Amino acid sequence: MKPLNLIALLLFLGGTVWTFTQSERAVREVQHVYFSAMAPFLKSGSKMETQSRAFFDEIQHSTKLEVELGVVRNELGRLRIIESRFREMETENERLRHALNYKKTTHFDVVPAQIIRRQPTTWWQTVDIDAGEERGIGTQLAVLSSDGLVGKIDRIYQKQNRASVLLLTDEKCQVSARVEGSPEVGILSGQRGQFEGNPLLRLRFLSADASLHQGQRVFTTGRGGIFQPNILLGTIDSVEKGALDSEALVRPSVNFADLSTVFVVLSADP
Amino acid sequence: MIRYSFATILLLLASFVVQQFIPAFTSFHHSRILLVQLTFLCAAVTVGQPTMLLLAFIGGFFWDAHCALGPHGGDAEVYTQQVESLRFGYSIILFGAMGFLMQGIQPLFKQGKWQFSAFLSGIAILLYLTAEYAIITFVRGDFTLSTSTVMQMIFTALLTMLFSPLVFWLLFRIAKACDHSIDPDASRRRRPIY
Repeated sequence: MKPLNLIALLLFLGGTVWTFTQSERAVREVQHVYFSAMAPFLKSGSKMETQSRAFFDEIQHSTKLEVELGVVRNELGRLRIIESRFREMETENERLRHALNYKKTTHFDVVPAQIIRRQPTTWWQTVDIDAGEERGIGTQLAVLSSDGLVGKIDRIYQKQNRASVLLLTDEKCQVSARVEGSPEVGILSGQRGQFEGNPLLRLRFLSADASLHQGQRVFTTGRGGIFQPNILLGTIDSVEKGALDSEALVRPSVNFADLSTVFVVLSADP
Repeated sequence: MIRYSFATILLLLASFVVQQFIPAFTSFHHSRILLVQLTFLCAAVTVGQPTMLLLAFIGGFFWDAHCALGPHGGDAEVYTQQVESLRFGYSIILFGAMGFLMQGIQPLFKQGKWQFSAFLSGIAILLYLTAEYAIITFVRGDFTLSTSTVMQMIFTALLTMLFSPLVFWLLFRIAKACDHSIDPDASRRRRPIY
């Protein structure tokens, strides 16, 4: 090997080792610099993607109806979330009044956002939304749609008013979940390599003799510090029993293939 | 030579910009055109080893900055078995390995047979994605390989490979502008003998 090539190889390996040893904070700094430099192109890229999607949508609907429908959908989604929350509050209030004589105040503040980019990376199930720190959004906040939990905020693009959402269908998005009408609790997450259509989720760490049936609803437990309780996740599709524990496949309540408006939960009492 | 090497670095950085405008083809097995990787692979066959390694470092470093996910978050007592993230910088190794693969057929490229390199770039992309998936599986455990994943990798490699002649054309133009020959053997044959 030529001396110059050997030196280059050693420098390359040294640089790689240096990169591997960077802390999480340093990586965030690097990402911040990278996305700041890419900001104008990210905006243009997202705009192009949104416009091309809108173009294909307009083949089926007129522009005016599309706008009106979008506004109504946003409003409907927001009201559904508020309504479901009020129902929960009503039930909770009644139960606590009778049993413990305890009154709880619940705040549930959401910010609506549009999806402007889908799956910008090869393997991770993420989307970008048009709301960021300017609207009070930070990382690790729950993201909902009118049908249930969508995911959580993974990254904020600083000073760009946009954020990246890690979808519930990603393997890394873990949610503490309970099955309605049973004592079963477990950890729900997406499955690796499932991109097509509406992928199934996997609910792990259920008891070995879990008595579950198809169609039972799965909700968040509220444990774990990220997701609020009683958010709908999906319904049981099938159960796989093991020697030590059971697992269930869960059909998500949200149609991830047709997701356009989401709501970021800014503050809520867990 | 130095001017050309510098130009390939700029071309690689420009490919990151263009990549932002290329969406995933969700209705086509979620495949995508990996322009950054393609630009690197095509450039790797036209430069020496030191420049290739520099390109691999830059490409891998920024690609990881583009893709890295945030920390898991949440209560560790509840989420006891958190899904591991890939270490920042793993792409540098992958870029380097693919660069060495491309340099293996550099003699053919120097003879002017760029078509072999274009074909190999598709294979390299497929290997790159396979290696990336293998690393994810190794780090996170629980081996699963669905048909949709295989289709995604194949279609991504095929789609990306289709653009390799365009990147090679760009590299030839840049080399000409820099007064540098990236296929010296072929250029010698083309030169008229008096």
